[in-house]
Amino acid sequence: MLKSAETFEIINLSKSEAGFAEEIKKMGGERILECIQCGKCAATCPLALAGFSFFNKRVIHAILNGLKEVLLNDISIWACQSCNRCTETCPRRVDPFEIMMAMRRVAVRKYALPATAIKGIKSLYDVGHAVYLSEAGEPRKKLGLPEKPPTTVADPEALAEVQAILRKTSLATLGIIPMGEFGIFGI
Amino acid sequence: MKVGFFIGCNIAFNRPDLEQAVRYAFPALGVELDDLEGQSCCPTWGTMPSIDPVGWYAVGARNFAIAEEKGVEMITVCSTCYGSLAKTTHKLQTHRETRNRVNRLLKSIGKEYRGTSRIRHAVYYLYDEIGPEKIKALIKHGLERLSVAVQPGCLSLWPSEIHPEKEADIFHPKILQELCELLGASAPPYSRFLDCCGMGGMRSTDMEKSFKLVERKLVAMKKELNPDLIVTGCSSCLIQFDTAQEFLQNKGKINFAIPVLHYVQLLAVCLGAEPQQVAGLARTPVLHVLNKIREG
Repeated sequence: MLKSAETFEIINLSKSEAGFAEEIKKMGGERILECIQCGKCAATCPLALAGFSFFNKRVIHAILNGLKEVLLNDISIWACQSCNRCTETCPRRVDPFEIMMAMRRVAVRKYALPATAIKGIKSLYDVGHAVYLSEAGEPRKKLGLPEKPPTTVADPEALAEVQAILRKTSLATLGIIPMGEFGIFGI
Repeated sequence: MKVGFFIGCNIAFNRPDLEQAVRYAFPALGVELDDLEGQSCCPTWGTMPSIDPVGWYAVGARNFAIAEEKGVEMITVCSTCYGSLAKTTHKLQTHRETRNRVNRLLKSIGKEYRGTSRIRHAVYYLYDEIGPEKIKALIKHGLERLSVAVQPGCLSLWPSEIHPEKEADIFHPKILQELCELLGASAPPYSRFLDCCGMGGMRSTDMEKSFKLVERKLVAMKKELNPDLIVTGCSSCLIQFDTAQEFLQNKGKINFAIPVLHYVQLLAVCLGAEPQQVAGLARTPVLHVLNKIREG
């Protein structure tokens, strides 16, 4: 489903989606209309440096042109480092970081997210950590640390709290991951 | 002095030797660590921030609530945790409606965000709270004749507007460099100093592009400085620089290996820690450098 935007040679503006920028505003990219496409964000962006098709400036440009499908079919937004160089440098206080996040929120609602993201989300729900290695107990023990860190992985009640919060967010209505009440301590 | 230790996923599960370094270095500097039992993920960018902002802030606020109950601030050695929790603080302290929504969620689990704690980056905490003089006085092994390439990491720097503790010139950071120099090392500038390491969302999305960034930076370090060590303030940079080199060597892209440490690991060894304990999980060999430091 997600493919490189390099396959789109011609962009058909008549197929653009009206109201896309408004949707982005509602999803957190509140100042997108302040963008003047000056390119300061692109000049600092690791995505641009690494050769991704859609870095901050081009994502904003595509949104302003209503090109939702183009962005939904491109992986770049998920490679955003959240480094905030763009937000630091933007002369119009657009906060391009928030626009990248808003675009992800739109993509998630169309189920256009990579498997690695789903894995992290599932792990956050199941154990309270987006990154989790079940085999970490042995190296921890060898270093003289308890096998489980003093976090949600060692505390069923704490994990239940995190899960209770997550079940009251839009994650619960999206159905991206199974959200039972068990996690690693169940069954 | 007491502070909550916000551990973070990558440290707890990927690099617990860094966790051990924190547990050694801070008490050695007179700072007692609180475990903040029941803490969770910050949460990181690819999870709730990419789905539901209120859910993001609520998971973060729950972590703050744990610290508030204990009356402590939190420190982290992970710049992602720092960035996510700092953005949470900023939002909750500047946006009343979001804060109310978050507190309604927290109320259902018997918690409340009051805004009395904050997240502090270990590097700034060392510099601002403990101070170079005190660190210097407690050093057992110095780094004389050692040269390091400094890798500050993104999220401890930007966006500076939301960080109470920051560099004087945000695009010319100096603090990590100064912290290395006070241990006795030289930490000269190099051309790609501010480049991103390529970890994070980029590495999980496109490893080839991610490794292209780290390769370019490694080559600049090697050519311009030929350093004994790469020293970073961020656990993600640590993992990227440490694990990418083996891969790049196998691919024939680089023909060198530069040992990589988080600053707190290096500090722990200078304060007397056993190298194996605080840096034993490095993939790019580092113990030979650390053992030499201990021998003086």
